[in-house]
Amino acid sequence: MDFEFSVITESLPALFEGAKLTWLITILGITGGMVCGILAGLGRIAGTESLGEKPHGIFKPISVLIRYLSSGYVELIRGTPIIVQAMFLYFAFPMLVKAVTDIERFRIEALTAAVITIIVNAGAYIAEIVRGSVISVNKGLLEAGMSLGISRFQLIVHVIGPIAIRRMIPPLGNQFIISLKDTSLFIVIGVGELTRQGQEIMASNFRALEIWLTVAIMYLIMTTALAMTLRHFERKMKMF
Amino acid sequence: MPSIIELKNVCKSFGKTEVLHNIDFAVQEGEVVVVIGPSGSGKSTLIRCINCLELITTGELIVDSIRIPAEQGRIRQIRLEVGMVFQQFNLFPHMTALENIAFGPRKARKMAKNEATEIARNLLDKVGLAEFEDKLPGQLSGGQQQRVAIARALAVNPKVLLFDEPTSALDPEMIGEVLDVMKNIAKDSGMTMVVVTHEMGFASQVGNRLIFMDDGRIVEEGKPGDVMKNPQSERLKDFLGHVKHH
Repeated sequence: MDFEFSVITESLPALFEGAKLTWLITILGITGGMVCGILAGLGRIAGTESLGEKPHGIFKPISVLIRYLSSGYVELIRGTPIIVQAMFLYFAFPMLVKAVTDIERFRIEALTAAVITIIVNAGAYIAEIVRGSVISVNKGLLEAGMSLGISRFQLIVHVIGPIAIRRMIPPLGNQFIISLKDTSLFIVIGVGELTRQGQEIMASNFRALEIWLTVAIMYLIMTTALAMTLRHFERKMKMF
Repeated sequence: MPSIIELKNVCKSFGKTEVLHNIDFAVQEGEVVVVIGPSGSGKSTLIRCINCLELITTGELIVDSIRIPAEQGRIRQIRLEVGMVFQQFNLFPHMTALENIAFGPRKARKMAKNEATEIARNLLDKVGLAEFEDKLPGQLSGGQQQRVAIARALAVNPKVLLFDEPTSALDPEMIGEVLDVMKNIAKDSGMTMVVVTHEMGFASQVGNRLIFMDDGRIVEEGKPGDVMKNPQSERLKDFLGHVKHH
């Protein structure tokens, strides 16, 4: 077996381009995923005692509706493979749009589809992380805050939020890394991310060992950077 | 003396289980009422109803002239006037002792930060923990945590303080320090207090009135000394035989 270092150096520029795209999809994806996740996670427990008192009047049916919508989203996304979601968004969704509207040339860019898929997919998992962290906060703290006459909103911001966020960090680290690695699946819709770049170089020179080793190391560097960033946040927070 | 708390024919149910049956009960301003009774008798539920942590099912509750059932905004008004100290302290674990106490004045009474901190410092001093202001709850003993919790409840300047078994989660050697703080509050500030406890010594020294509850009903009430010396019902006799005297 011969191992050619020059193969690696020659392929590095293309692989770097791929890695940049992987990084871009990941950062946009998990940022949007956090927004979706926080909304859906809180939505799943809207109007329950985990967020203070149960709602009255008109807010009662509204909170039920929000809970159902959030749960539906989480179950739908968790219950289907991400690769199917990407294919659906990229290939099937434009056809669906064409069928129900008059728009003839509707299509979604592969990169856009990739980012949206990560946002929606990570959002569903992050929703569960958010929900789990919030319901794990001792109800007694809410009662103590309410008994001081503090509003529910203030308690969510100053008590439940800070405590829940500390508990979210380890599972969020997991999810961010999973999402980063999931971007490799977008090879199927033709996004030029790291795995696809590797695949293309490999197809032209057949140097599987050098290429996939390099690709693996580049993923490892990126996941390590994510993990270290989260560790940094974890250390910076006052622990108790 | 006007009643600051009044319960008229109050029932409270959780689902199909009724835990308070037709409670009539009033507390005068400045009075210290001690509530005793076996576990499951409804003592905690009774005081949790007073500051609306539990909403009464039927009947009428009047606290500081506010009538319950009331809308959400007025419930907060009641809670500003009725503080509560919990068995499990429930201090905010991510805030220092000082921040825990200043939080109420800042957020509920909308005070400026330095004003709230000033109040918090004075109260911390009053409960004998001045040098612990920068400690997190996890760095304090149970007795110290409960003293901080009492200071926190006092910080919003309530008219009434409710205590839900404040010493039941404490090691025996820490019970005294918490009871001393409670005695001082009763004596110095003439605070109206409703205390659920098994500390019969505290009941007889500080209490103006003792209430014995069993099975969701007030079974006996009167001056603590009288009630303890001459229990009328078998249930109270039995209960008093089981509680330790400190």
